[in-house]
Amino acid sequence: MPIAKSERLMNLALCLMNTRRPLSKRELRDSIEAYQEAAESGTEDSFNRMFERDKDDLRELGLVIDVEENPLDGESGYLARRDRNRLPEISLDAEEAAALSLAAGVWRQARLAGAASGALHKLRAAGVLLDGAAEAPTALEPRIPARETAFEPLLAAARDRRPVTFGYRKSGASAAEPRTVEPWALECWHGHWYLAGWDRDRKDVRVFRLSRITDRVKVRGGAFTADVPDHVDVRQHVARFAGEGATSTARIRLRRGAAFPLRTKALRVDAVDADWDELEVPYGHGLAADLSEFGAAVRVIAPAELRSDVIARLSAVAGNVQPADPRTATIEGAAL
Amino acid sequence: MSNAIDQTRRMLSLVTYLRERPGARVGDVARAFGITERELVGDLNVLPMCGTSFRGGDLLDIDTDGERIWWHNPDDVAQPLRLASDEAISLLVAARAVAGLPGLRERDRTALTRAVAKLEAAAGDAAEGSARVGVTFEAEGSVFADVDRALTERRRLWIQYYSSGRGEMTEREVDPIRLVSEGHTYLEGWCRLSEDRRMFRLDRVADIRVLDVPSDPPPLELRDLSDGLVRPAADDPQVVLEVGPAGRWVTEYYSHEESLELPGGGLRITLRTPDPAGLVRLALRLGADGRILAPAALAEQARATAAAALALYDDDRYGGERAEAGV
Repeated sequence: MPIAKSERLMNLALCLMNTRRPLSKRELRDSIEAYQEAAESGTEDSFNRMFERDKDDLRELGLVIDVEENPLDGESGYLARRDRNRLPEISLDAEEAAALSLAAGVWRQARLAGAASGALHKLRAAGVLLDGAAEAPTALEPRIPARETAFEPLLAAARDRRPVTFGYRKSGASAAEPRTVEPWALECWHGHWYLAGWDRDRKDVRVFRLSRITDRVKVRGGAFTADVPDHVDVRQHVARFAGEGATSTARIRLRRGAAFPLRTKALRVDAVDADWDELEVPYGHGLAADLSEFGAAVRVIAPAELRSDVIARLSAVAGNVQPADPRTATIEGAAL
Repeated sequence: MSNAIDQTRRMLSLVTYLRERPGARVGDVARAFGITERELVGDLNVLPMCGTSFRGGDLLDIDTDGERIWWHNPDDVAQPLRLASDEAISLLVAARAVAGLPGLRERDRTALTRAVAKLEAAAGDAAEGSARVGVTFEAEGSVFADVDRALTERRRLWIQYYSSGRGEMTEREVDPIRLVSEGHTYLEGWCRLSEDRRMFRLDRVADIRVLDVPSDPPPLELRDLSDGLVRPAADDPQVVLEVGPAGRWVTEYYSHEESLELPGGGLRITLRTPDPAGLVRLALRLGADGRILAPAALAEQARATAAAALALYDDDRYGGERAEAGV
């Protein structure tokens, strides 16, 4: 049975941390059984590839590995200096520790959940977090999902500032198109992930919904070409699509007791008669869809374009087909 | 479950931890690391194979009798390690998100804010990039505090709740089980009206009272929510929808059994729901971008509802502006 990868990584880490002089690749191969096996049963090339991957994996795990020339023979070698790898002094009181433990449990994404508990393990091993079940500070269980497969590669690319390409199906588009993007920031809003970045082909800032990325995210070589702003407000951009950035208002009538979600948005409510109220609501993107959903409980008063939009939608469902107005198509965020 | 990366990550901390605690108990260590004893024993089987040179015999001499763990040649390689960038980012992003959670107790919020500052300092370069990831939980307003209090004091709640499936306001008593935040905040509780476990979205609670009645939910296993908070049951009625390209978002909001690509960029979506009537409202929302294929009775219900709604505008057909004057 081949030697487990975790054993091989652990051995490499211990060798690199335990040396005061750089160790050459050859020395490491001779000290670590798994490498010997790989070199004997495979080619030199397969050992080399394995060694490079392992170094990358250890760096991902936080190990700072320096490449230096050995002063004795001039050969280049590797070492993980203790001072560069030590956790700096940090102390947490009981409340801070408990709060941090709660926070570490929120990820519902394997990689980040593993990383967050890895961080806690390091703090615990260093004596920063004390043993014993920390009392949960609240009955609340916050969860951050990231089911989108594009999440992990985009997070790494944004961190390392690497351009990416992916296929993207715009809202309402019948097919996906290739996009080349310099990823700036990721934001989770209403449980969905969005990416903001520089779209190289469109030469402008764009926001992408991760669930609409249709294929694998590929990292491209080279550096960013556009300046990364200090603050990227993904949320503001998405909220605009969700109708939150409304600039005008609409007047609608609502049957009393019906359509609670619309009532919570109302800026003003006046009773009309025994059955109906009149509401003033923000008129932003997606309002026509929001209103149509409530059927005969809603009647649009003004503006006229909103009324005809709702009538067109209802007609489509009632079977009185009217030509669809392309401007009123359900687009991104309408269902937020 | 542990893959090679997670296991290596854990073992690196484990040696540091064990060095400080000779004779540590297996059960205590497993708990401290949030793993099963079986997983820990798995790690303890790997560690004696690790060292600085297998030929020189410089291996970690760690063993266990199944109850306690001993490290016979501890060395100072086991120093506390700096945080990796993904460790710092995951913890900082999570901590900032939770600190911004509406309804969090003020003391917890300030503790978290202090912890974030300390963690940023300790993480140094590794924290870089964490500001590029943000998570916003929804503000669910005033009902949160009452739910939180009912949970702490184990009391029953009365709520006026907008049922999205039925499209109407309901009143019920609920024994709270827990609060879960994922995008929106939900109360999981035992509903005394339906005598069943239910998820209530807090932004659909119109009114709430903490009752002077002890909460008494039947003994329940906490459900695993990893596949989503609201999951239809296998015996819920099946509905088939067809949507155009502009209606593809439906698959992102409704858990579904199947979605087939149609020519032209549309989808045929099969899903189950306990409240098919809720899908009538979905059909109305979709307008020309989708329709119900089956069951036929539901499709007819959508058509009839749309026709009834259109009747409200009958005036418009004869002279638009007259409608402005009144209903």
